[in-house]
Amino acid sequence: MRIPPVSRAGCTVLISLVLAATPAAAQDGTWALTNARIFTVTRGVIERGTIVIRDGLVAAVGSDVAAPADARVLDLAGRTVFPAFIDLTSSLGLPAAPAAGARQGAAAGPAAAPQPANVGLEPQRVAADELQVGASDVQSLRDAGFGAVLTAPGRGVFRGLSALVPLRDSAARRVVRSPVALHMGFQPAAGRYPGTLMGVMAYERQAFYDARQLGLRLERYRAAPRGLERPAYDARLISLVPVVRGEMPVMFSAGNENEIRRAAAMGREFNLALTIVGATEGFRALDALQANRRTVVVSVDFPRAPQATGWAFRAGRRLPPNDSASSDSAASRVIEANAATLNRAGIRLALASGGALRAGEFLANVRKAVAAGLPRDVALEALTIRPAEIAGAAEQLGSIEVGKIANLVVAEGEPLGDSTKVRAVFVDGIRYEVIPPATPPRGGDRDGAGPPAQIGGTWTVTASTPQGETVSTFTVNQDGATFTGSMTYEMAAIPVTGGQVAGRTASWSITIQVDGQPLTVTFRGEVEGSRMRGSAEMGDAGTFPFTAEKNP
Amino acid sequence: MKTTEGTGARGHGGTNVWTHGCAAALAAVILAGVVPAVAQAQRRPAQAPAPAAPAAPQQVAPAVTPPQASGPGPLGIAIPPAGGLVAITNATILTASHGTIERGTILIRDGRIAAVGQNVQVPAGAQVIDGTGRYVMPGIIDSHSHTAIEAVNEGTNSITSEVRVEDVLRQDGGSIYRELAGGVTTIQVYHGSANTIGGQSSTLKLRFGLPVDSLLFQGAPPGLKFALGENVRQSNFQPQPGQTRRYPASRMGVEELLRDAFTRAQAYRREWQAYDAARRALRRGQAEPVPPRRDLQLDPLVEILEGRRLAHVHAYRSDEMLMFLRVARDFGFRVASFEHGLEGYMITNELVAAGTGVSTFADFWAYKLEAWDALPQNAALMAERGVVVSINSDDDERARRLYQEAAKTVNYGGATEDEALRMITLNPARQLGIESRVGSIDVGKDADLAIFSGHPFAPGSRVEKTLIEGRVFFDRDTAPTLENLMEQTRRQPARQGGRPVTSAGGAR
Amino acid sequence: MKRTPEDRGTGARRHRGTGIPLALTVALVAAAPLAAQQPAAAHSPAVYAIRDATIVPVVGARIAGGTIVLRNGRIDAVGAGVQVPADAQVIDGTGLFVYPGLFDAGTTLGLVEIGSVPGGDDRRELGDFNPHNDALTAVNPASEIIPTVRVNGVTTAMTAARGGVIAGQAALIDLAGWTAQEMAVLPRAGMALSFPRIAAAQRGGPGAPRRSESEQREELDRQTRALRDYFGDALAYADVGARLAAGGTGTQEVSLPMEAMVPVVRGESPVIVEADNVEQIRGALALADSFHLRIILRSGREAWRLADTLAARRIPVIVGPTTNSPGDGDPYDAVYALPGVLARAGVTIAFQTASASDARNVAYNAALATAYGLDPDEALRALTINPARIFGVADRYGSLEAGKVANLIVTNGDPLDPRTQIRHVFIRGRPIPQDDRHNRLYQQYRARPR
Repeated sequence: MRIPPVSRAGCTVLISLVLAATPAAAQDGTWALTNARIFTVTRGVIERGTIVIRDGLVAAVGSDVAAPADARVLDLAGRTVFPAFIDLTSSLGLPAAPAAGARQGAAAGPAAAPQPANVGLEPQRVAADELQVGASDVQSLRDAGFGAVLTAPGRGVFRGLSALVPLRDSAARRVVRSPVALHMGFQPAAGRYPGTLMGVMAYERQAFYDARQLGLRLERYRAAPRGLERPAYDARLISLVPVVRGEMPVMFSAGNENEIRRAAAMGREFNLALTIVGATEGFRALDALQANRRTVVVSVDFPRAPQATGWAFRAGRRLPPNDSASSDSAASRVIEANAATLNRAGIRLALASGGALRAGEFLANVRKAVAAGLPRDVALEALTIRPAEIAGAAEQLGSIEVGKIANLVVAEGEPLGDSTKVRAVFVDGIRYEVIPPATPPRGGDRDGAGPPAQIGGTWTVTASTPQGETVSTFTVNQDGATFTGSMTYEMAAIPVTGGQVAGRTASWSITIQVDGQPLTVTFRGEVEGSRMRGSAEMGDAGTFPFTAEKNP
Repeated sequence: MKTTEGTGARGHGGTNVWTHGCAAALAAVILAGVVPAVAQAQRRPAQAPAPAAPAAPQQVAPAVTPPQASGPGPLGIAIPPAGGLVAITNATILTASHGTIERGTILIRDGRIAAVGQNVQVPAGAQVIDGTGRYVMPGIIDSHSHTAIEAVNEGTNSITSEVRVEDVLRQDGGSIYRELAGGVTTIQVYHGSANTIGGQSSTLKLRFGLPVDSLLFQGAPPGLKFALGENVRQSNFQPQPGQTRRYPASRMGVEELLRDAFTRAQAYRREWQAYDAARRALRRGQAEPVPPRRDLQLDPLVEILEGRRLAHVHAYRSDEMLMFLRVARDFGFRVASFEHGLEGYMITNELVAAGTGVSTFADFWAYKLEAWDALPQNAALMAERGVVVSINSDDDERARRLYQEAAKTVNYGGATEDEALRMITLNPARQLGIESRVGSIDVGKDADLAIFSGHPFAPGSRVEKTLIEGRVFFDRDTAPTLENLMEQTRRQPARQGGRPVTSAGGAR
Repeated sequence: MKRTPEDRGTGARRHRGTGIPLALTVALVAAAPLAAQQPAAAHSPAVYAIRDATIVPVVGARIAGGTIVLRNGRIDAVGAGVQVPADAQVIDGTGLFVYPGLFDAGTTLGLVEIGSVPGGDDRRELGDFNPHNDALTAVNPASEIIPTVRVNGVTTAMTAARGGVIAGQAALIDLAGWTAQEMAVLPRAGMALSFPRIAAAQRGGPGAPRRSESEQREELDRQTRALRDYFGDALAYADVGARLAAGGTGTQEVSLPMEAMVPVVRGESPVIVEADNVEQIRGALALADSFHLRIILRSGREAWRLADTLAARRIPVIVGPTTNSPGDGDPYDAVYALPGVLARAGVTIAFQTASASDARNVAYNAALATAYGLDPDEALRALTINPARIFGVADRYGSLEAGKVANLIVTNGDPLDPRTQIRHVFIRGRPIPQDDRHNRLYQQYRARPR
């Protein structure tokens, strides 16, 4: 197999990585999904149709499309297919706490000055450069039907430049688009100025004024430097110049009524290309959202009633004794109807998790929003094409159309139905089966996965590669949720890296040499007793299934 | 520095710093429940419409009348209707400006006092509030408050004049309602006293139930909060491990910091004047000069120097007040008020000469060393010697009973009742520069009124209704009272025992 | 008790310190031990008469144009036709009122000077159970705050330490005396106890993680159990002590805290329980039942929910500070209206400011309550005879009756009215000079030339 070299993205240059750009070396995984009920989102519903996936893209879709001879055919009678969801409010792959700030990749070459810790005041921070995504990080989202997320640091004033990331296991082709937008918020820096919301707003305004001024001076200086004082090099302000020019969009986290108004006012004062993110109390600030005239990213991480603006108006109302519970549920209904209210007011919206919800909770809350009056088709658009538009990737994601990236969900049931089960998710045309856990998940555990399955010992792995079946011995030394070990390949024992067990799912990688080039193969399998079943991804070279049996 | 060019157009390095809200604000109409976006627009410079971002398609919203953000519902409260004709009849009117009117009537039209006297005709169709046996006074003005904000102190740096309490207003706190129930209609919300130059203040009317922008007192002069003494020196706090003490640590350093800040403000002002002159002198074909950096921290200090922003200074000791008066004299501006000024009685001569008022407590003392020489006679003695004195709360709880606080000055120091009344009405209005609008019951002023069951200073008197611009924002008849709650509890089947534990209470 | 227009000075200023007629000033000077001049008649140093005043004895009807005579620290006679003794120093009470000296039934007077200065702050001791601590030990008789409080009419106060669960014995003090012991009316007036409460802030300091609700409840249960156990231990200690004293064999090691608890569990010393919500109040009642305690409730924010129970069980309540804000979930006037609700249900109430420098405002606390349902006469009782009864000193304090200690005030109006000036204050029959810190500075700076 010829493996094309994988290149890494640059820093602030706008990039759209498209799989078709690689040489036509065979991208295994030509699929034909037949007899499916297809929700294209932009071109209506095809009751019974076929989707052809080739080279990670949708090659054809329609009711009269024939399966190509070289395609692996999946008969999806009784199943639905819809675009994989996109969540715009993620911090996937980014350090949770302020990182030490070291840049990945090429920048770490010559003695880089030690970066100060990130405190949320770094608009120049590029998420794509800091991504470290493991297979288990993406699985629970993907199993719920998500195909891509927009990832940015989750807290701070100037949080950084986000990246649109597909939810695939391997690190190859990690980014769909970067930078997408500058993410901003109202969280103060800890222990230094600005330490309160007041300081944050003044800090933001001053930064924008300074960026405007710097932009002007840079323009002048570039045009005719003679006689002019050279503008100081300030990475922070330089990254803000396109922002104040409206060229770099801003995604501003603002949840409650006053935050929405403050963010919108900031946008007006500096002519920002501003998208409000969160807007959990958008129903209290419809005028501000309408005046902003942009799609709103609405979080379904519903605030609790006592936290909502207006709850404290109870101080001035005669209420029956012990009334909190019923007021609480009445207020919760209003809060859950937020998206529906915005929709009725003519505001376009995307739905998002808000950054803290697990995938299952996110979709459950989307269903609540639908039950509260948001039309289901609007909700589906809000999870697919609207986020794609906001992320500047409307030509690549968000609907099932010829030429777009094959991020699709195969499910039993309607999209967003109450009992819909996701059976498989395609990301970049790679199929990831969703295997339900053998035993029901125990309550209270992370992801409902239960304790990690015990896989210590020796396994015989049989892989069905395009070259035929290969057998290797897989040795596992497990320690809780992680493990080390080795797999034999061509007589050599290759050490296992990234061994993780989450519930019944085991994943690990090995790096082999093919034609002098390293190739990382990532395995993911579901454990059922002494058997394992799953698939392995070989970078760009496609995937293959495998089974494994534990040696007694 | 009085250019009036439009602001915000892209391509210019900076907006003209002096016009941003002032002209618009002074020309603003009295708010009567109008859509908040209108108020918003009046405070901000005109902006060009936002350009389309390359990837996100524009959507044009159909014209929809935005619903009121607050209203009846689980997250709202009924808002009194605006405008119209209101009359309060047959009450004892304490005008604060021209004595007491027995059995008088106040006629209110479109939020303003249209007539006041004993023989006022009430037109048909007016909403009549029977004031028989009641006392009406001007709505109380609490000139030192930290109510209705989400943050009080940006104390990380010693100078943070760039921050604005207006940016962090919050409209739905129970304190606002309880202050209304104590007869307060206007509050001056300040940044705290954690640092020497704290932040820009905001004057609000307590229109409980409306969104934040509807609380702003349109047309009130802008203010800036300074602080001196123990708090800014952080003398009563222990620095955390790893934290260095922030300058200044002594009263000497405080003066140095102030002079340095105003010196820099003067230099900044000269820079901008030079820039304006250069632009005016521009000839055809010449490139526009690059404007100086717009410094949000120095902007309000320049406004102070030019008399377009009021300086309010938290201070206790007589020596530090004299220090600030010297700084003000050296830099050519008047100090509007000293806040707290508990030793003001020691320097009444200097305060009168400087035209500076004092906004103080009635009798709160002994909580800090710098409050040790405080006297309950302070307010009355200062007033006797010609200082404009107001009584404030600096506390959500005390704000509910400023009428009792003011009455104490009759006991201590022998102020007259009229003088005491002015300390919570006309005097704070003067200190805040809003006396043309509020602070007394006079024709033409806003109808901000408090109706009491008896004389406000008499024990046994309570507020029955509080009006802002003729709208009743507090009414005891419909307010949640303990009496009402007990009645409802009696009517309900008893739910003893498993009653959920409420928040821990207890004295102080 | 409405004030008449004649009561107020209309326009003319009444200055503290200059309202006393010149003759009396001379007379008072003459009464001082270091007097130089004597006016013509010889006056006994301990005999005073206030005549032609409106006397409000609290117990019994007002007396118009009455006279009250003080002799050797006690009230000698009070009434309409009382003769002014020849040896009395006379105060002309025309247009003035005489009331009993006011009580603040819960303070930290003498225990703290400047709040932010730790050196003078003795309000808290370490540890949860300190029944053997006596607040009186730490009372500073030279506190500058005490004179400022008494010139505004407060003559007697309960003062107690704070902190922990049992902070020790509170003291009842008159606000005059050379030493704390002299000031004491009751060196041990009751055991100060703060009933355990759910604390959102917890031990471990500001950096400690917030506890969940279930963790807080567990902690509360643990603290309540510990409190009951402590009382159980005290009862056992008392029983063993009694048996040994009656001649039984064996020994018991002396424990000072347990010794201090013996009068409590024997019902001889009341327990002053600070409790606010219904759960705490019920807990206090249950504790009282279990150990046969005499309790006085203090603060009692939600006592209105149990008003009938408290009245039936004759449990008095020291309410206040009335200048506390109700929570957002409570009616806006909940704190103001509480005293009235309790009083109407038949509960004996008194007022506290829980402060030192604010103790002078206890009457204004009561005034706020009269605006929200407390009968003004009951308010006055709550500031005088009620606290005297609650602390068991009603035979000597709390009203203007012959034989009682001469703690009284002479005013130009209703003491609940913040406009009223207190013209004279007597504690134990001696006049209180108007030389507190405030008046001194006031006179000094009034004299500064303009």
